[in-house]
Amino acid sequence: MFNGLKKFFNNFKEYIVLIFLLLISLSLLPLNKSAELKKIRTLAFGNLAFLNSLVLDAQDMLRDRDEVVKLEKLNAELMLKVNQLREYGLENSELKRILFLKDTTEYPIKPVTIISKLIPSLPGYYLINAGLNDSLKNGMPIINDKGYVGLIVKTSDHFSLVRSLKSTQSHIAVMDQRSKVNGILDWDGKSFVIKNISTTNDVSIGDRIVTSTFSTIVPPSIPVGIVIRKSTSVAGLLTNIEVSPFVNFQSVKNVVVLKIISSKEVNNIELNLLKETKLK
Amino acid sequence: MPITVGIIAIAIQIVLIPLLSFQFVVPDLVLIVLVIYTLKKGQIFGTITGFILGFLFDIFSGGIIGAAMFSKTLAGFTAGYFYSENKTDTNLNTTIFVLIIFVCSAIDALFYQILISKTTDFTFITLFVKHSFLPAFYTALLSLIWLIFKPKTKSE
Repeated sequence: MFNGLKKFFNNFKEYIVLIFLLLISLSLLPLNKSAELKKIRTLAFGNLAFLNSLVLDAQDMLRDRDEVVKLEKLNAELMLKVNQLREYGLENSELKRILFLKDTTEYPIKPVTIISKLIPSLPGYYLINAGLNDSLKNGMPIINDKGYVGLIVKTSDHFSLVRSLKSTQSHIAVMDQRSKVNGILDWDGKSFVIKNISTTNDVSIGDRIVTSTFSTIVPPSIPVGIVIRKSTSVAGLLTNIEVSPFVNFQSVKNVVVLKIISSKEVNNIELNLLKETKLK
Repeated sequence: MPITVGIIAIAIQIVLIPLLSFQFVVPDLVLIVLVIYTLKKGQIFGTITGFILGFLFDIFSGGIIGAAMFSKTLAGFTAGYFYSENKTDTNLNTTIFVLIIFVCSAIDALFYQILISKTTDFTFITLFVKHSFLPAFYTALLSLIWLIFKPKTKSE
């Protein structure tokens, strides 16, 4: 029996040693998080780190240290300049699109810039750099080349407060451009939703949503977004329609104010009609 | 003696060899030392030396303890297959040595990479080419220095 084992060991000693050592290695792998091993490793690693720093110092001695510092500074400055130019480039293309909008739109417009989007206690409200002195008034809509951005709700001499579409207090009348189905678009804090549309109404995913002709606040047919999801509620009778806006509210900066107040226009038309009827 | 040389090799491997890195691929000096001793002393000696050098490498490099132990043990064992008392000079002094280094280094680098990786999201190219073939090739290239500057034996 003993001789048999001895013979077996002699024949396979290389494999036995190998398997034994490999098993020890593998059994150490899960113990890497133990405090003792970490301590040993830190100590040994620290010693070699000292050697490493010596090598680095030796390397530095071979280099012109002042020149390296100077070049690193120049590099940082150039990086900042490149970043600034990139921002100018983006702003330039945005401004070009707004100039095109100015040339093509039939409404009187005023190009403005959003100077702040972080108004405390008013999420979804923006501050723009024009006000009463630029003949801006409450109720004037703000758009950019992509579509509807928001509405002026307060004006001072030089600044105005804009309630963007991405505010929970924003509710605008919109319609499906293809099927002319009307609804009210809200921001519920997570997404833009047109709630309680009858399931019999023809609204499909991919349809363009524009401001409605029923709106007394915003001029009609300003692009708002695109239908991306439909979910049925209330026993399958009503549908909630999720809309993805055309405007990127995260990056929007340069916008234009449409210098009209729709409700007043509507009122004027109504008054004129009344006058005409009375005259007849 | 091999442990002393091994410790010096580990120090060089950690401190100086990274300066020779090319696209994060570095040659393995410790493996070259291990293969040289294995070809001189035999398979069991190589397996045990690989185990000890691997342990020391894990400790000094601050890596995962057990990873280099496993891979170097396996590499020492593999190098032992080329051991022959009658062919020691041939194995150490000809281009066969470079080939042995290549094979052992490929196995070593492959298993080391598998054990230290926190992800299993490998492709064939990254695992076998980038983490095995390239380091093995670089180590084999470095081992040419041994062939050129090796210490002269009495028979020579």
